[in-house]
Amino acid sequence: MTLNLTQLTQLQPLFKLLSSGTHLNRLQDTELWVELENQQSHYQDLFAALGFVLVVDGRGFAYFKTDQASSYTGKLTRRLALLLMLLFEYQADQGLHLFQFQQWRLDAALLEKLWQQYQAILEAEEMNSPQMLKEILDSAARVGFLVFEDQTYRLLTAVHRYLDLFEELAQADRPDQLQVEDVEEELF
Amino acid sequence: MSLPQYGFQKLVLLNSAGYSRAELPLDDSVSIIAPNNTGKTSLINALQFLLILNKQHMEFGAHSFENTRRFYFPDNSAYILLEVLLPSGMAVIGCVGKGLSHDYEYFAYQGSLDLDDYRLADGKLVTQPKLIGRLFECGKPAKIYPQAELRALLYGNRQKQRSDDPDFTIFPLEFTSQAATYQRILTRTLRLDRLDSKEVKNYLLEIFKNDLQDRSVDFKNEWDKSFADVNYDKSQYDAVFRNQTRIADMEDSQQTRRILRGKVILWRPLIEQGLNEWEAYYNHTFEQLAQQLKGLVADILALENRQKAVYKDQAETENLLKVQQKIEIRCQELTLRFEFVSDLLQLQNQRKNLQEQRDERVRVIKNAEQQQSPESIKRNIVKVGKEHADLQRQLASLDNNLYLQLQKLLPTDRFELLTRLLAKSVLSLPVTENSAVKLNDTVAFQSFAAQLENNLSANRLELPGLSLDLSALEPNLMLKTAQELETEISDCERQLVDWQNLLQTLETLAQQKRQQQELERQIEVLDADITDYKELLLMQASGSERLKTLAEVQQKLEALKREELTLADQKSGIAQHQDNNKVAQKELQSQHQRINNARQQRLDQHAPFTYLEQLPFLPCMEMAELAMPVLADRIESYNRDCQKHNALDDELNRQLMDLHRDGLSKFQTQDSSEQELDALFAYTVNLSQEQAAIERKARSAVVQIAAILRDLRDSLETLKRRMREFNNKINRRQLSDLKIFKIEPREEEALVKAIQTLISTSEQVESGNSFDLFDHNAVLDDKELNHAKDTLIKEGEARGGLRVEHLFRLVFIIAKENQTPAEFEDIDSAASNGTVLMAKLITGLAMLNQMQDPRKTIKTACYLDEAASLDQHNQRNLIEIAAEFGFTLIFASPEPQITARYCVPIGTTNGKNHISRLNWQILEPINNADLKA
Repeated sequence: MTLNLTQLTQLQPLFKLLSSGTHLNRLQDTELWVELENQQSHYQDLFAALGFVLVVDGRGFAYFKTDQASSYTGKLTRRLALLLMLLFEYQADQGLHLFQFQQWRLDAALLEKLWQQYQAILEAEEMNSPQMLKEILDSAARVGFLVFEDQTYRLLTAVHRYLDLFEELAQADRPDQLQVEDVEEELF
Repeated sequence: MSLPQYGFQKLVLLNSAGYSRAELPLDDSVSIIAPNNTGKTSLINALQFLLILNKQHMEFGAHSFENTRRFYFPDNSAYILLEVLLPSGMAVIGCVGKGLSHDYEYFAYQGSLDLDDYRLADGKLVTQPKLIGRLFECGKPAKIYPQAELRALLYGNRQKQRSDDPDFTIFPLEFTSQAATYQRILTRTLRLDRLDSKEVKNYLLEIFKNDLQDRSVDFKNEWDKSFADVNYDKSQYDAVFRNQTRIADMEDSQQTRRILRGKVILWRPLIEQGLNEWEAYYNHTFEQLAQQLKGLVADILALENRQKAVYKDQAETENLLKVQQKIEIRCQELTLRFEFVSDLLQLQNQRKNLQEQRDERVRVIKNAEQQQSPESIKRNIVKVGKEHADLQRQLASLDNNLYLQLQKLLPTDRFELLTRLLAKSVLSLPVTENSAVKLNDTVAFQSFAAQLENNLSANRLELPGLSLDLSALEPNLMLKTAQELETEISDCERQLVDWQNLLQTLETLAQQKRQQQELERQIEVLDADITDYKELLLMQASGSERLKTLAEVQQKLEALKREELTLADQKSGIAQHQDNNKVAQKELQSQHQRINNARQQRLDQHAPFTYLEQLPFLPCMEMAELAMPVLADRIESYNRDCQKHNALDDELNRQLMDLHRDGLSKFQTQDSSEQELDALFAYTVNLSQEQAAIERKARSAVVQIAAILRDLRDSLETLKRRMREFNNKINRRQLSDLKIFKIEPREEEALVKAIQTLISTSEQVESGNSFDLFDHNAVLDDKELNHAKDTLIKEGEARGGLRVEHLFRLVFIIAKENQTPAEFEDIDSAASNGTVLMAKLITGLAMLNQMQDPRKTIKTACYLDEAASLDQHNQRNLIEIAAEFGFTLIFASPEPQITARYCVPIGTTNGKNHISRLNWQILEPINNADLKA
């Protein structure tokens, strides 16, 4: 297998972004995404040779699959998983289609409602204030799950990772055993 | 045997790919039987040389093309041959090695494939150089075709064919332009090693290309093109809006400049004329002033002389006045002094009196100086005084004095004696109440006198212890008459006065002398008074005359003073005139100097003043009259106006440059900066209308953009429709245990939504019923719209144009019985090995079929490795589906697959593979009737 590195024009920014644990989102990083789309196999091979598993999801996101999670990311992803799950539940209750999550606007009012409705559950995970929710979303924004624009958060395609798991868990028909830890295991 | 069907008949390899000879039937399904790694794939791959032709589209797995060529064409008698039944008859397409270079060339001819044609009598294969000749000998006129030409032939590209060529179209495509795609899919389908959604998407896009208005939309470019004007106008509008204050200033400046121009134009000829006449005016005026000055100097001299005379007069008159005043004062003093003097006689009398007094005093003093001592005079005075007193007493007690009383009471003798004893004064004492002698009791006194008589005896008085002879004594008192007494008294008195005066004179001689001197001094004073009085009289006599003189003198003095004052005034007036004259001269000179300077500094000889009339100006309506005295001011202000004009020129140009730098270029195309400014001001005035116009333009730009996007969206819809049709095609039969197998487009939500946003905005704009809405929410500032635009631009830029393919992705939707459908991007991971193989194959075949001209069907072949992974049911299914799509299926597996019509084992002799026609096993279905039998 030979790789022409000069053709991989976006190698550096791609690697930098992905290796930091960030998700590449089609619409946020269009240029990188297109490059990745065009040279997907090459990048995949190259990254594989470097010990990274590049996952490119046709729904518009890519990331390095990793087996080990730091305690921080573990905590973050657990909380984010819970938060997103509650969000999806809440939005589903509002009659919104879950797959259109990219169109949702997570503004302060929505966060406040989430907080009010699920306060007990959130506090059990040591999320003690709406401000905390914001902080979690900010952290998630740094790794490409969300974007913060015009004072509201928008979910990015990478959230499909969570949504897929939620769906899967829901289909597994054992809602009583649904554990956040399972999600975490699946994600990392 | 059914009716002959157009299509592949057999594939023959001679001395190629490790086969000494291989004959493979292709007119129906085949099961190639061989252990792994015995050249099944090589056999199938050989078809690529004939069907794909373009080596760039050929694929030989991990092998390089060089090795592949060497493998297939070891020498110049290596052949790959394909027999095809075409509507025009049987035809052979072949590929022959050219020798050591391992190169190869194509040939084709009409007729059936007879292997003897390629074999010489000695059993050797015909070599490439002799092939055409050999075939010709065999009655099969073959022709060498360059690769591209043959490809055109096979894929029915009539345009690239020569008219005399036979019709070798094996792949009657609906659109020959899709040949490359067809080849690529064919390659894949022949091998089917990998097929993911992305590839399927690309192929389908190629396949449906002609249904789609599939142009690449350079969205940014389109947007920029449509909005170029708008954005430009907006940028211009913004620039003007930003600089409104500056532009207002500039408008003021421009107005000022026009006014200045009008002024300069008005004044220039006058200034010109004034300058021409100045020298003469200057000389003339200067001369006049000099003359005037000379006259003034003379005037002032005369005035000074007169002033001197007046001063002198004044001094004299003042002296006169002083004298007169002194006289007057004297007169007043004298009048006051002699207020109580009625006339001169009074004074003269006074003097006479005084003189008499003085003479008397002189006499007295002289008298006194001749008299005795004062003591004797004093004694005389006492004596005379006593006498006088006596006389007085006598006179007083003339009726009742002691003498008389005693005379009455006492006997005469006694009385006589007693009168002798008693002093005259005692006797003359009056006897009255309150006097020295009181006669309280006459009887008592008479008794006492009786007693006394006892003591008296003839001229003697006997008193106890004392005896006094009285005989010597004279009676003291003789009584005289009153007249006698009075005469005596007045004599006494006179004597007494004389004596006393004398005494006084003596005693006061020094005083007298002083009095005399005093008197004399008084006389002198009086003399002086008399003189003065006389003077007064004289003065009084001449009083009226004197007053007249005084008034005259005063009048004269007044007159002089007045004259003096007027002289000073006149003088200061003339001096003023002189000063004025000097000032005027100086002024004239300075004007001259200034005019000369200004003449040097004139700017109006240079541009733009030389063509000022051609520039826009405001005609100056001032009354323009040039007075020479104000020429200097005029020309200076004129020069200043010129300077100001130039400064405004510079300023306006600078500001214009600033505006240009700030991006305001709309008006730069004007012929001149004046016109540019006018246009700019006009624009600025109508800023709100301009904004509305930009807004209108923006809307129409949105409409324009939307039209393009609508094409894209319509294409997407068409594609979705086509995909549904395609899914119907591949779902005609159930694949394996798959309940659902679909390839569905999934829209890229954000992009499609962005497109939708733009389209619906444009619809709102077009329908025009939302004008109000737009008034409040201008197109240019529409956040959502901009977001949509940005999204599309970003996507377009990253991909170098926006195409329908960017709007969706394909997913394989697969569901087995009793399962909910799941989406997969890569079909390999979706199901079991066999199922995946089938899915891929069917997809590939459906795609190929999709491209073929449905009117002409020529059956070709496709290949399925690892066929054993499919059960017979599926194999049969597959064979039927392939047949429907116009393909015969080639199974490859170590075991025979009995679902195929032919089972063809690969044999090996001397290390070379071979497939002989003789080894073909033809499977015929057994009739039910036969079975029963």
